[in-house]
Amino acid sequence: MDAARKLRDQTLVGAGVIALAVGMGYGAIDIPSDAGYAGVGPNFLPWVVSIALLLCGGFLVYEARSGGFRDMEDGDDEKPYWPGFVWMSTGLLVNAALITTIGFVFSCALCFVLAARGLRNAQATPTGGLRSWGTDIVLGLLIAAPVYWMFTKFLAIGLPGLTQSGWL
Amino acid sequence: MEIWNQLLQGFATAGTPVNLMWAFVGCALGTAVGVLPGIGPATAVAMLLPITAKVDATASMIFFAGIYYGAMYGGSTTSILLNTPGETASMVTAMEGNKMAKSGRAGAALATAAIGSFFAGTVATIVVTLFAPLVAEFAVKLGPPEYFCLMLLAFTTVSAVLGQSTVRGLTALFVGLAAGLIGMDQITGQARYAGNVPELLDGVEIVLVAVGLFAVSEALHAVLFEGRIVETENKLSRVHMDRSDWRRSIPAWIRGTAIGTPFGCIPAGGTEIPTFLSYATEKKLAKGENLKEFGTKGAIEGVAGPEAANNATVTAALIPLLTLGIPVSNTTAILLGAFQNYGIQPGPQLFSSSATLVWALIASLYIGNVMLLVLNLPLVGFWVKLLKVPKPQLYAGILIFATVGAYGMRQSAFDLFLLYAIGVLGLVMRRFSFPTAPVVVGMILGPLAEAQLRNAMSIGEGSPMIFLQRPMSLTLLVIVVVVLLAPRIVKQFSRRSIEAIG
Repeated sequence: MDAARKLRDQTLVGAGVIALAVGMGYGAIDIPSDAGYAGVGPNFLPWVVSIALLLCGGFLVYEARSGGFRDMEDGDDEKPYWPGFVWMSTGLLVNAALITTIGFVFSCALCFVLAARGLRNAQATPTGGLRSWGTDIVLGLLIAAPVYWMFTKFLAIGLPGLTQSGWL
Repeated sequence: MEIWNQLLQGFATAGTPVNLMWAFVGCALGTAVGVLPGIGPATAVAMLLPITAKVDATASMIFFAGIYYGAMYGGSTTSILLNTPGETASMVTAMEGNKMAKSGRAGAALATAAIGSFFAGTVATIVVTLFAPLVAEFAVKLGPPEYFCLMLLAFTTVSAVLGQSTVRGLTALFVGLAAGLIGMDQITGQARYAGNVPELLDGVEIVLVAVGLFAVSEALHAVLFEGRIVETENKLSRVHMDRSDWRRSIPAWIRGTAIGTPFGCIPAGGTEIPTFLSYATEKKLAKGENLKEFGTKGAIEGVAGPEAANNATVTAALIPLLTLGIPVSNTTAILLGAFQNYGIQPGPQLFSSSATLVWALIASLYIGNVMLLVLNLPLVGFWVKLLKVPKPQLYAGILIFATVGAYGMRQSAFDLFLLYAIGVLGLVMRRFSFPTAPVVVGMILGPLAEAQLRNAMSIGEGSPMIFLQRPMSLTLLVIVVVVLLAPRIVKQFSRRSIEAIG
């Protein structure tokens, strides 16, 4: 990451914290201050948090504009591999969208295949080919199905199935 | 004598076949989790929190505790055999342990780590047995002002002292406090920041935040940045220590335990400081040939001491958790969350109201340490095989378990989207070196601290002077200020002396 971009990103992070602070403050306006004997009511901590985040965010922006965040670890200069991130994100979001329709086992196996694909491609020597897809699909099902049975049958945790049988 | 009777009662409860099974599964799972990179005890316990809905409190706390300290044993295996430590607690072990393994002494390093962990874990458990009831008796006398100050101290140490940067630590803490605010106010029942989303009235689930911040963000980080890192694995040699290894290890274990135990007892959190202290001590005390081994061939003291310190700290950290209800690390914060799922609030009353549970838990620590010694010495070859799991399948598999934890808690697909969002947040935090522990501690301890604050203010009839009028709370406030300022003054001072010399 080149220096200018790094500083810009850090400024954005600081700005994000400020935005959160403003959001917390905006939400705090609606909370009643009904304090009783305590002198501080339910809106007290929200205001404290909001103001503290504002200060932190401001300080982060100041650090970013004056040479960057202090006391950072070195060696965080690897280049990000965005295609892999997209594969994995797709896996996670598809899982969230489909889990109640196609059931835990298939939805999680799908997530597994997509995430593993991203990770495979990210490696220095990507392992592709039709066979690797097959391996991942089988592995995904082999992990997801027993997990599903273990949690639903033994621990009675409600996970969605495709059928009512409780096995798939 | 009373302690003795209660401990025996605890052994009777923990010794039932079912509870022994939970302890064993917990220890085995903990070891696995410690060995596997990318997943730590906090993540594992968080993912399994949904079982609190079904399994009874004693069994699941024994199970979770097994994962908690089992991971400390497993972590050392990874840090000795791989060039990337599995978790922060074993970073120091990695320095000497890795060097030892490279020069063909992996077996001795593993043995001293496991036996040292057992020794320290057992000694610290005895300390817990003897002192936790005393602390609880004392803690009954504390009122809301003192509790609030104690929690303030926990917040300060976890956010301002342990990380690299105070401002980033504090930012993380307040983000956690903000997350803890969502939902119903404990005292008045007022809804805050829930919008019109009924799910948010109950607050944000700890599972979501913990699993998102640790597991999902870890996987995202791996796919973005870690693909090209080439790991090398050191060869495992016979797990055996010769006479000179024993002679050098035993004093190091004792010193490590002596350093680690008090650090666990105070609400000042983290294993980093005691392990580094122990390492520095061993290096300072080493002489001649042994000293030369530090950083070159790998010195056995440098593994034995920190490993003992690590386990002593982790075990002794149960004292503030059980007697005061104050967690100071990710995992203890999540253990607190597990208690809360049962409607149990750890604190001084725990020893009277849930005596069976507490003593069974303490007894299970003794049993678990023995199990772990067996799991980690003769069976270490089995765990080493886990290091061969290829990264793509490992992280993808972790995501399946993350789904179980996140979905299983509330049966809501909405939570899975939220999980992804929190994972991305965790990725950003990691990228910009924000610590995650303050988020989790802030979120769990925040609502409790707020209640104590408002109760304290009620006692003072609305005046904040109440915190200064009571000697205990005043003392604690002074400690908070010292903890905040001391590192800065030391830094300033050392900078000046460097300038003076150079």
